[in-house]
Order: sequence, then C-alpha cells, then structure tokens
Amino acid sequence: MLSDVTLGQYFPAPSFMHAADPRLKLVLTVFAIVLLFSAGNFAALAVAVAFVAGGILLSKIPFKLYLKALKPIVILIVFTSVLNIFYGPGEPLVRFGIFRITRAGLLNSVFVAVRIVLLILASSVLTFTTSPTQLTDAIERLLKPLAKLHVPVHEFAMMMTIALRFVPTLLEETDKIMSAQKARGADMESGGIVQRVRALTPILIPLFVSAFRRAFDLATAMESRCYHGGDGRTKMKVLHFGGGDWLLTGAAVTVLAVFIALNLLVPGTL
Amino acid sequence: MSFIELKNVHYSYDPAAVDPVEALRGLDLRIEAGEFVALLGHNGCGKSTVAKLLNGMLVPTSGQVLVDGLDTALESNQLDVRRRVGLVLQNPDNQLVAGVVEEDVAFGPENLGVPPEEIRRRVDEALHAVNMYEYRASAPHKLSGGQKQRVAIAGVLAMQTGCIVLDEPTAMLDPRGREEVMETILRLNREKGVTIVLITHYMDEAVRAGRVVVMDEGALLTDGTPRTVFSDVEHLKRHDLDVPQATELVYRLVAAGVPLGGMPLNAQECVALFEAYFREHPRT
Repeated sequence: MLSDVTLGQYFPAPSFMHAADPRLKLVLTVFAIVLLFSAGNFAALAVAVAFVAGGILLSKIPFKLYLKALKPIVILIVFTSVLNIFYGPGEPLVRFGIFRITRAGLLNSVFVAVRIVLLILASSVLTFTTSPTQLTDAIERLLKPLAKLHVPVHEFAMMMTIALRFVPTLLEETDKIMSAQKARGADMESGGIVQRVRALTPILIPLFVSAFRRAFDLATAMESRCYHGGDGRTKMKVLHFGGGDWLLTGAAVTVLAVFIALNLLVPGTL
Repeated sequence: MSFIELKNVHYSYDPAAVDPVEALRGLDLRIEAGEFVALLGHNGCGKSTVAKLLNGMLVPTSGQVLVDGLDTALESNQLDVRRRVGLVLQNPDNQLVAGVVEEDVAFGPENLGVPPEEIRRRVDEALHAVNMYEYRASAPHKLSGGQKQRVAIAGVLAMQTGCIVLDEPTAMLDPRGREEVMETILRLNREKGVTIVLITHYMDEAVRAGRVVVMDEGALLTDGTPRTVFSDVEHLKRHDLDVPQATELVYRLVAAGVPLGGMPLNAQECVALFEAYFREHPRT
C-alpha cells in the first residue's frame, strides 16, 4: 500500500528531453514558470504555452500521464478560477444579488487556470524526464558557486541522494512495522483523529530507532569507502552540455525574444 | 612482512570505565596477501571488532595493527589503509549509498578522485566480476539480499583494495543468497587473488576457506587449515563452538562406537566415508 508512493516520478524513455542536460532542464523549467507569470496578455501567454507544449512533445511521454499529474489539483484550479470570476473590476456583464461577473473577471479566471495547469505541466516535464540522481546532480552543479560562500552545497546534495535512496527502504520498513503492530492487536483504523494520531506512536518509535541504526551502519560503510567530504571527489557521470542542449537554449532565447515583443506590443488584456 | 599484522592488540569499547571490559585481549594475527581466512567464534568473541580494526574504523586501545606496513592508529594513514582494505557489512540495505546500482559502485572510486573514464571502466569490471552487470541501472531496493550484497562487494572491488573484509555478509540472507555470495567471494579469491577475511558463524562456509582462525573471549583459540581445526572436535566443543554438520555426524557416530576412519568436512566427503565403510562392512 505504502510502496505505491513514488517520489519524483521518472519515466525512462529514449527522447530528446531525456537526453538533455539536467541543468538546462532545471533552468528552463524555472524560465517557463517565469514566462507564465509575467505574461500580460493572451498572445504572450500563448508563447509560453507553446514553449511548454514543445517540451511535452519532445519528452515522448504519453499525454495521459501528464493528465494524471493534473488530477490531484483539479479542485484547486476550479476553486481559484471560480473565485476569480467574481473579483474582476469594471462593468458587470451579469449581476445577481451581491455577485457580479465582469469581462475582466472572466478573462482573469481563464488566465489563472492556464497558468496553474502550465505550471504543473512544466515541472512534470522536468520530473518525468530526469531521474532523481540527475536532478540532485544538476542542483549540486548549479549551486556550486555558493560553495565559495561556505554554503555546504556538496553536503546538501549528498543528503538528497541518501534521502532518495532510503525512501523506499523506510517505506517498506513502515509497512512491516504496521503489520507487526496490527498482529499484536494495534488498532489504527478506528476512533477520532486524536486516537488515530496516538496510534501512530508504536509505529514511529521503532521506525526512528531503526533509522538511527541504519544511519550508523551507513556512516561506517561510507567511511570505509573513503568518503571524506566533497574535496578531491570526482564523478563517474560528468554532465555534458551537447548539441541538443544548444538547440534547446537557442529555442528558449527565441521564445524569450518573441515573448518580450508580444508582451510590450500587444495591449494588456487585464 | 605480512600484508596485515595484529600485534598484541587490546581493544575496549569504553577504556575510561572503572572496570573496562575488553573486547580483545592480546590478539596476535598475521594475514598474508592472497589468503582466504575465515574468522570464527560465537557472539561477543570480538569478531566484528577485528573487522573494524582491520580497516582502521577502530584503532586498538593498546598494541598495533599494521596494514601493508601502515599503522592504522595514525590519522594520516587512514585513507591509505582504507584504499587497501575494504569492508562489507552484514545488512545489505544499510551500506548502499546511491539510488542506482552503478552509481553506488562508483561511490568509492569517486571518493578517491579517480578520473571519470577510469571510474566507468572499474565499475563495469567490478559489476561483471560479481555477475551484476545487467542490473547496473536498477534501484537497490528492487534487488534481492544476495544481489545487494554482491553490489556491496562490487563497490569495494571498484576501489581495487586488494583485500576485502566481510563481516557476516550472509547472516541476513536466504540459502540461495548465501550461496551466491560465497561463490562470488571464492571466485574473487581464486581468480583475482583478492585477499579475503570472512567473518562468519556458519561452519559450512568456514570449511571452504583456506585457513580458519577461531577466536574465543577476545583472543585466538586455534588457527590452521579447516581440516586441522575441525578435526579437533573436543577442543571446539569445550569452548561451545560448532563444527560442520558432516563432521558433527561422524564425530557422534565414532563416539557411539562406529569404527569410521577420518573426519569429513562437507557432505561429499561424508558420503565417500560412508561408502568406504559399507564396502568394508557389507550389511548382512
């Protein structure tokens, strides 16, 4: 039951986006999100949409999976756009009671919905096409300049790597402990919220004890394998900024130019 | 000079205590390069302490541990000692660092600052050596216990330590996983000349080593080939230690008055012994 949870849903496939440098993908995801939120009119927004759509097409991942990623936030999208309908300034189109719907309100709600959907889709392109290890690696490389300011970038990345490695192990263990406690008569499915939270104690305590024991073993294993921090460390997989990545960068720059032009030239919708 | 030398090693986990309990009391041991040594003894005899002393994870309270002539007690020797002696622990889950098999194997050489192409070569070679190459892109939690333990061995191999110390590597595995690990260790010792120190409490594993060292109460009890060590059944029994099943069976039969000649170490030898016996004493 618990083992169904996957963190950073990575779907391996032989696509252009999978092959792209994870650093670039990370930067471009942020770039796409910035575009989405600085679009002042529908023309500019369309450019951002096209950019994300391009990423989705190049990822060769069935669109069904992207829809699945949107599912958990459908309620949020509906809620915010419905709210936005009623909060537009200007002449009301329809009025009933204290509620009034304006043209600006309608447009605004569409805008917000598109933004949220695209935000999720853009980050899905990143997590679907980049393995957690690649992502950690990318974050480490991108933040490397901060190491000069004594920010423990390497240590942070190592923590992420280990955390990701142990998520499935600890989930499995939680499952085991739950079964063991149930076998001893622990009741976790009935009672009010207070009772249920209290029922978690016999699961959490053994889990913590075991996590500490694992951490101790892991430290021994890491030290035995000559781990001594990030100094003088090399990497087997060196990130490579290849031809495809230059193409992608070129595309992003073009998109940016068009976006800025449209944002300035076309009068704002809002 | 031997590859590893323990000279009159004492170790106490809490030397500051009023009445310190010593885990090791004057242990002397020499291990030559290329040997396969099985270290036996029951729980609490100091076996695991020895494992951690051999690669400098612990340093002796008194006495000396020399690895390739390097004193493990010196802080400046620590990395060099661990480059020569690798350690594999009991729980296969707790010693894998990365979320992908090949990246875990690369962890050691990465720490040593080996150039990327060379790491790639070593990782592939190490994974081939333990027959795990086809699983190089898998996540560790998807593997069986025996497979995980083989990945851990590959992680040490990729560091090219020349010596691997295994602290009860099969204790948490099913019989199949145990056999996988044993076969891997034996092959590495035979084909690649890797020095192996196998700490175990399975007598049937110890029999397959070239040399058996038995410890009791923090000191050496016996040391010799499996045949000489296990033929003295009384001596081991007096110290509450087991002998291999086949040896035990023949020992009891002899004690009960059956005139069997010799002490078998494994099932095949045992069968051969019985065949010889029945040839001489045909049933009537």
